[in-house]
Amino acid sequence: MTALEVSGVSKVFNKGRRDEVSALHDVDLVVQSGQFVSLIGPSGCGKSTLLRLIADLIQPTSGTVTVAGKPARRARLDQEYGIAFQQAGLFDWRTVRRNVELPLELRGVNRAERKARAEEMLVLVGLEEFAGHYPAQLSGGMQQRVAIARALAVHPPLLLMDEPFGALDEMTRERLQAELLQICAKTGTSTVFVTHSIPEAVFLSDRVVVMSARPGRITDVVEVDLRERTEATRQSPGFFTAITKVRRALRGTKAAESTEPGGPAEPGVSAEVLADS
Amino acid sequence: MKPKTVLGAVLAIVAGIALWEGYKAVGDPDGAVVFGVRVLPRTDDAAMPHVLDVVRRLGQPELAGGRPVWRVVFDACLFTLGITAVGFIAGALFGLLLAIVMQRFRVAERGLLPWVILSQTVPLVALAPLVAGWGGGLSLGPYPWQDWMSVSTIAAYLAFFPVAVGMLRGLQSPSPIGVELMRSYAAGWWKTLVKLRMPAATPYLFPALRLAGAAAVVGAVVGEISTGTRGGIGRLVIEYSREATTDPAKVYTAMLGAALLGLVVAGAVALAEWPLTRHRRRVLLP
Repeated sequence: MTALEVSGVSKVFNKGRRDEVSALHDVDLVVQSGQFVSLIGPSGCGKSTLLRLIADLIQPTSGTVTVAGKPARRARLDQEYGIAFQQAGLFDWRTVRRNVELPLELRGVNRAERKARAEEMLVLVGLEEFAGHYPAQLSGGMQQRVAIARALAVHPPLLLMDEPFGALDEMTRERLQAELLQICAKTGTSTVFVTHSIPEAVFLSDRVVVMSARPGRITDVVEVDLRERTEATRQSPGFFTAITKVRRALRGTKAAESTEPGGPAEPGVSAEVLADS
Repeated sequence: MKPKTVLGAVLAIVAGIALWEGYKAVGDPDGAVVFGVRVLPRTDDAAMPHVLDVVRRLGQPELAGGRPVWRVVFDACLFTLGITAVGFIAGALFGLLLAIVMQRFRVAERGLLPWVILSQTVPLVALAPLVAGWGGGLSLGPYPWQDWMSVSTIAAYLAFFPVAVGMLRGLQSPSPIGVELMRSYAAGWWKTLVKLRMPAATPYLFPALRLAGAAAVVGAVVGEISTGTRGGIGRLVIEYSREATTDPAKVYTAMLGAALLGLVVAGAVALAEWPLTRHRRRVLLP
């Protein structure tokens, strides 16, 4: 079964004006149920725009988005997906538990069930002891875990994540990656995950979708087959092979880009690649 | 309240009294005049009575054989407090409503905000007799318009402004992420207002309410004076100041009352804020 289908989607901002920007051009993407798919690419390649289109936070200029067999708008109204951003975006006047309850509250779930579900989610992300704390009392990594718990609270079939670990330190990041995989496996949730980091994309994903900028489009899809992920996976040859594959795919897009006037210079790219490995 | 807060308040009062009495002790009785402009006030007993005299005056009868001054001032304050409360609540509600309308409709913000600001540039003294005049011809159903209603209207007129401006700012304060999250939860405008914008606005709302409280007191006091409403502290200040030369301490008793009134209103706002700021107290956010 398909969890998500994007077909022929284009997005033009400020259409018909002088500051018109073509953010996405003719994008097709299918995510099967239970799959973990990463979107990776340079800044401005439209990966966040694509995520927002799927979430129906913005509407495509052309093309269709289908989530769980429904048009994107219907899917949003039925809360068929959960979403998490780079900033946790917790409401600081609500306790951790009440933050997780928020989407349930808006769905009209009764108090007792809300509480039970929120506590179940907090157990899932390992924060059950912090239910009564306020967000400002938590570290960045813990806040992000609360945001994930909140995104999963309505048991959505699809999880959308926009660089959720981007603002965290490397150690926290790796720990949360492993946790996220466990959670997704446990709940059977399909995931679309936006990231800059090649190792992150490879470690998490069944498929890495490589994108390029101006206009944003999908240039390559790298299948990653590492079976069960553990900490050892990060040292395995298969992991490095996949990283190289993704890096090559990204380089291809970079090379194409640097021929354009004002494109970023190659040295900056290799520095980033070195830092990633 | 923490002992530290109480100590701070007591120290502030002591410092105020010390400043008053200190200047009175060392200052020139005729004040200081530079090039014909008086830059420091006179310090004689007519201009600056001793603090103790003012306090003592509170205990003495208003007129020979009348009620003690503190009783008269207290009753006047209570009367004005009622007027202020009505004006403050009406003004705050109106400001709140205005802020919500302006947040909801960008057109309303562009169209209304200049008027809101313009409204505060009209001199109060010019406005007050007008309000009283209009009020004379009005009635609320079977109830005829009362003098105090004009005064409340003036208080409300001053109070709504900080609330409208502060609340608008607060309603617009949530981050785009918060707004997108609400949208992703299929929450409409109303739910977003209640669950996100309103709670996010409280740090803006309460400072605005404190300003509005002070403005309502000023509005009530000035309104009483310029509409000639009897029974309130504003009227009392005017009445007592006619006796300024013969009984200077008496003027200050009325002023003390007006100042206390302001404090009571500020205290009421702080009390209302208390239950809504639990999260900020718990984590000691700025």
